[in-house]
Amino acid sequence: MAYQRTGFGEDMKLQTVPNAGAVFGANAPIGLGGLGGSPDGPLNIVHVFWIAGMSCDGCSIAATAATNPSVEDLLLGRIPNLPKVVLHHPVLNPGAGTELMRPMKAAVNGELGAPYVVVLEGSVPDDQAFPTDDGYFSAMGGGGFDPDTETDQPNRVTDWLWKLAPGAAAYVAIGTCATWGGIPAAAGNITGSMSLMDYLGKDYRSALGVPVVNVPGCSPVGDNFIDVVQAVLLFLQGIAPLPKFDDLGRPAWLFTETVHRHCPKAGYYEEGVFAEEPGDNQCLVEIGCWGPVVQCNIVERGAINHMGGCMVAGAACIGCTMPGFPDKYSPFYKAPPGSAISGGMSKMYGGAIRRLRRLSMRKLNREPLWDKTGEVPSPWAEKHKKPTGTDKTMSFFYKKLQYNNSVNQAKRNKKQPIPQSRDILSQKGL
Amino acid sequence: MCFKNLPIEFDSAGNATLKPGAADPYLYTETPVQTPIEDDPEKMRELLERNGHVRRVDFDPVTRVAGALAFHTVVDLDNREVLETASMATLFRGYEIILQGRDPRDAIFISSRACGVCGGVHANASALAIEMAFGISPPPMGVVARNLLQAIEYLYDHPIHLSLLAGPDFSEPAMRDTNPEIWEKALSTRVKGRATHGYEFMSEIMTDLTPLTGKLYLEGLHYTRVAREAYVLIGGKFPHPQTVVPGGVSTTIDTSDLNEIMLRMVQYFDYGRKTIAIWNDICDFFYEVNPKYRDIGTRPKSMLEPGQWDDPYAYDGTYENADDWARERWAPPGVIVDGELVTTSVKMLNAGVEEFVEHAFYEEWVGTTGGPSGSYPFPTDPSGNPLSPYHPWNKQTIPKPGGTSWKEKYSWSTAPRWDRQAMETGAYARIWAAAQAPEFSHARFIEPTGKSLKVDLPKAELPNDLVEWKVPETWGAFERNRGRAYCIMYTAAIAYDNLLIAYDLLRKGGPDARMSVPYKVPKDHRIGVGLWSAGRGYLTHHLEMDNGVLENYQILTPSTWMASPKDPFGNPGPYEEAVMATPLLENYEKPEDFKGIDVLRALRSFDPCMPCTTHIHTDERTISREVVTCACGAEGNHAH
Repeated sequence: MAYQRTGFGEDMKLQTVPNAGAVFGANAPIGLGGLGGSPDGPLNIVHVFWIAGMSCDGCSIAATAATNPSVEDLLLGRIPNLPKVVLHHPVLNPGAGTELMRPMKAAVNGELGAPYVVVLEGSVPDDQAFPTDDGYFSAMGGGGFDPDTETDQPNRVTDWLWKLAPGAAAYVAIGTCATWGGIPAAAGNITGSMSLMDYLGKDYRSALGVPVVNVPGCSPVGDNFIDVVQAVLLFLQGIAPLPKFDDLGRPAWLFTETVHRHCPKAGYYEEGVFAEEPGDNQCLVEIGCWGPVVQCNIVERGAINHMGGCMVAGAACIGCTMPGFPDKYSPFYKAPPGSAISGGMSKMYGGAIRRLRRLSMRKLNREPLWDKTGEVPSPWAEKHKKPTGTDKTMSFFYKKLQYNNSVNQAKRNKKQPIPQSRDILSQKGL
Repeated sequence: MCFKNLPIEFDSAGNATLKPGAADPYLYTETPVQTPIEDDPEKMRELLERNGHVRRVDFDPVTRVAGALAFHTVVDLDNREVLETASMATLFRGYEIILQGRDPRDAIFISSRACGVCGGVHANASALAIEMAFGISPPPMGVVARNLLQAIEYLYDHPIHLSLLAGPDFSEPAMRDTNPEIWEKALSTRVKGRATHGYEFMSEIMTDLTPLTGKLYLEGLHYTRVAREAYVLIGGKFPHPQTVVPGGVSTTIDTSDLNEIMLRMVQYFDYGRKTIAIWNDICDFFYEVNPKYRDIGTRPKSMLEPGQWDDPYAYDGTYENADDWARERWAPPGVIVDGELVTTSVKMLNAGVEEFVEHAFYEEWVGTTGGPSGSYPFPTDPSGNPLSPYHPWNKQTIPKPGGTSWKEKYSWSTAPRWDRQAMETGAYARIWAAAQAPEFSHARFIEPTGKSLKVDLPKAELPNDLVEWKVPETWGAFERNRGRAYCIMYTAAIAYDNLLIAYDLLRKGGPDARMSVPYKVPKDHRIGVGLWSAGRGYLTHHLEMDNGVLENYQILTPSTWMASPKDPFGNPGPYEEAVMATPLLENYEKPEDFKGIDVLRALRSFDPCMPCTTHIHTDERTISREVVTCACGAEGNHAH
């Protein structure tokens, strides 16, 4: 049953109050909510409408973790050359209800008086396919969009999204739900969820001619998002070069490399050493890591303030920045099929390389002085291995190759005198 | 005897059984909700004749809460009272149907992504459900690592609420806009906590609570990051951690990880002391200005906490021993009804849970398979305790999106009830259940006294003042916020205790210091439940699996309890109940000036977190997209 109010004359309806939720009124801090700005002249103020669709709010939380710069740096206008950002955000906005929705309605109606960017977190449900105007999977604000035909029903987020699209200076999808579809669009979903690109269509261009910009990740690295915002704004100000985006609209400077290339455990892969169970320190491919084929920078940039990152902490990559997540990476904790070939090969040649390296290290882990005295001055080991005949032969050829066409430092070291105060405590009789 | 309304009694041995005699013990007759004022011409006429100040006030969306919440009220601005409320969860994603038919190994990382504000808690709850179904449990270090993750998470979670979400309602610009006379008074009111927080006058605190420019706001934001830095060292990332696995964690912990965590954790000793002093001063000041502030957001002291932070040597992953290992937790389970602790058994907590959908956008499922008296999958839990057909293990919800109607359906949140009563849950429920715990096994820094909870942490820059949270006499929005402030210290103590245990396990080495145990996905029929709370309180994951595939997966979250619409017994959900009881103390001369700050304070005190509140369970049936036509669109002249 829909909400019905029949039998009332004009005199019998309840009036509403115009400022419900506007608890800050004219005292609202500039930067979070409010109206204002000028479309003329250099870009000095940009409104950002942050909209949550089929979302967990994790992208908002991730954005508040950014430190380079932080959200408050942008909102307070602390960074010279960047326009001031006025954020309209359902989680952070001081005022509620009308105070949040009023500027958004102004933007829809072309009355904002300043450029605006729309950021979507969460995927887009198929609400527009409902046979009537009622019902929703995702709603924000109520009363419709036209003052002449106000309703009592919640407004669909999908309506906001298409209505804001033509006038937006840029449309940014943050997180894997908005960029590709993510979990709400995974197998078995009944909401018809899709990505922002799928919803707006491939011909969409913003008012400035830009297609949807995609910053993926579930959740994304907060600094990746702010980095993209900063890059775009600095370009618009005529300072930074044109930011490059790849053929899926990802910032190319962040998402071209695979996460494996910068992984702290990639060296284990090279040497063919693999973790056998969660908690092991080696390459995680065999316990379900998809890093070698996943485009992501979390191990390089860190999760927060350059700290953490999945494999840094010992966690396998499940492809959360990628189209097709989660289904193309399921079941989790199971070795990807490709690893049987690549991992198997790495075990063979990597095993050989690893053994050769250990041989080299036996030579390298010693000062030339110790080679000469035949003694390692560290009691941390009960006994230090003496170089074997093989080591000496290896070392001979190694040095030949290493110093070929250059200066033989091994020879020069042989001529170095042994320091006279070596082993001073014995000399002093202590 | 903890149940008053459910048809459960206890035999002489203390075992729960169904009361004999009733053919259909869980059957109920629906009590229709009162006709909405706007649908009731007589009531409207009466109200409008009484005074011209009855208004419909909608907050859509309610900001400074996580996720999609809208709130409808009808208020009498002359009598300063709320006449009608409706709480609306306005998002539905279908996480649970997405989990159905999947490999159970997908559940941890998919369910974790149901909530991006406190994602780590879902990973842990899911791991517990899976471990119960798989018949495994982590080595002690695996448990300790999870405890650390969860405790550190709250050191981000509580500050984000107090500073960024609730705090602004007590800040200078909000006070000037809604109660300028109280701001005037704050200018000359000296506060007690100066030695701890450094502020001399109440007005200084209010100024620094201002969004974006206030020092306390920015400091809170900073402290949400410090904890998250510690978190990602062993969680990989946040809010969706990547290291929780069945049977433990996939974390490489070494001493430098622990050192870096400690460096960050100890900062919360002082931040906790300071935050407590701030919120004590806020409560004292408002109660002094007007004792009616105690009634903002008041409702019965009925709340529940399933417990969390397992004892590394007690937790064995079984349902059979769940009561025992759950009581060994740093946050022991408890159900509090009207201020009385009625049970500390997680099995009774579980058995008392039902979910109703009369006023949510779902179709009934009981009756579709033979009715309450017909067969339903789990008439008892694995220990033989009776379960309702409305229990999550038996639930089969079928979503039905449609128009919003206060009398019929108006929310995507179901109406969970315990013993058919509306319950709240949260940080304050946790500290309350711990304070009254009959036994407490982790007394190194925490001491429950029955009437209070003492936390005794080493000094940092501030001296070691023993911190004592006292069970409050009156219950409302201010006490919820105060309780959450104390929970920073309580949680810091748990984090620190577990950190010291982690050092010790590293020092000793051996099998206890391993991170995980091996497992195989079972192919037979299994069920499991993760009874493991979230920052905002109650959280359970119930699962059923067969042939290595999830047959049913159900997530019941804290804000589902609290954002609940009305139940079939005619009772409102906690938000609705609390706002109904809220006096409108805002300073307004005419209705046009009304902003609703007291309503918003009441709502925000619960720390609503909506993303994971709405979710579904369903069978193979096709989801109907038919919606009933709404007449309101034709009423074009209705002012909103």
